[in-house]
Amino acid sequence: MKRTRLASIAAAAIAPALVFAAPAHADPDTDFGKELHTYGIYGQKDYNAWIAKIACKRLYNGVDQDADKSAKFIFLQLQKGSTTEQAWQFLGAALRTYCPEKLPILDAAAQQ
Amino acid sequence: MLIKASVAAAAVSVAAIAVPAVASADATDDYPIPNRILKTTCTVDQYMAAVRDSDPVYYERYMIDYNNKSPEVQQAARDRIYWFFSLDYAGRRQYSEDTATNAFYEQMAWNWPNWAKLFFNNKGVAAHGTDTCAQYPPSDPAVWNW
Repeated sequence: MKRTRLASIAAAAIAPALVFAAPAHADPDTDFGKELHTYGIYGQKDYNAWIAKIACKRLYNGVDQDADKSAKFIFLQLQKGSTTEQAWQFLGAALRTYCPEKLPILDAAAQQ
Repeated sequence: MLIKASVAAAAVSVAAIAVPAVASADATDDYPIPNRILKTTCTVDQYMAAVRDSDPVYYERYMIDYNNKSPEVQQAARDRIYWFFSLDYAGRRQYSEDTATNAFYEQMAWNWPNWAKLFFNNKGVAAHGTDTCAQYPPSDPAVWNW
């Protein structure tokens, strides 16, 4: 369990390499949606973008105090059958796209 | 002869259609206010916190709408929903009847038509929210500050 969790956090942290390789795009929601596709997360683009922005909002106002809680929030909004790893990948992409100043919570989670 | 019969048939069928329509505005145990909301023992704050977590986009939309209202309308909406939640089942059922049969009964609806959308408009949201609301603190003013 612990190992899976660490692997998921690592997966969430590693992905920037993929992002920078993608061509520049004016709409962050489109880029975000494309990155989700690489994790096998589909569904409505606007819905996923909204969940990501709300996840940031919850971190800013303290409803979610750490990355574990944030990943759990995201997991509950993903389609049934999604994996914990996908929730962490979603979280990593959300932080990088919409609230990069919250990225340190991933490192904090990895050191727990 | 044939004409007479047709006229009679037409008159009968019109009457049959017209009569039930008179009573159709009554409330039911699930309309216009979902049954879960009539029966829940959660507080307003508990229910809102639950919906914030279970249906975040629905909550976000409601709060955007709320934040666009004047402080007076916001205050009135809060007072009204706390008042509604203070009623027992019979009181809530009566309120549901009153709002269903008299468009002028709920004054809030004329200041802000969607004032109770988070609570009354969506059975699925009401079901998710009331499933988990008991886990949240009874009083949490932060649910209005979003």
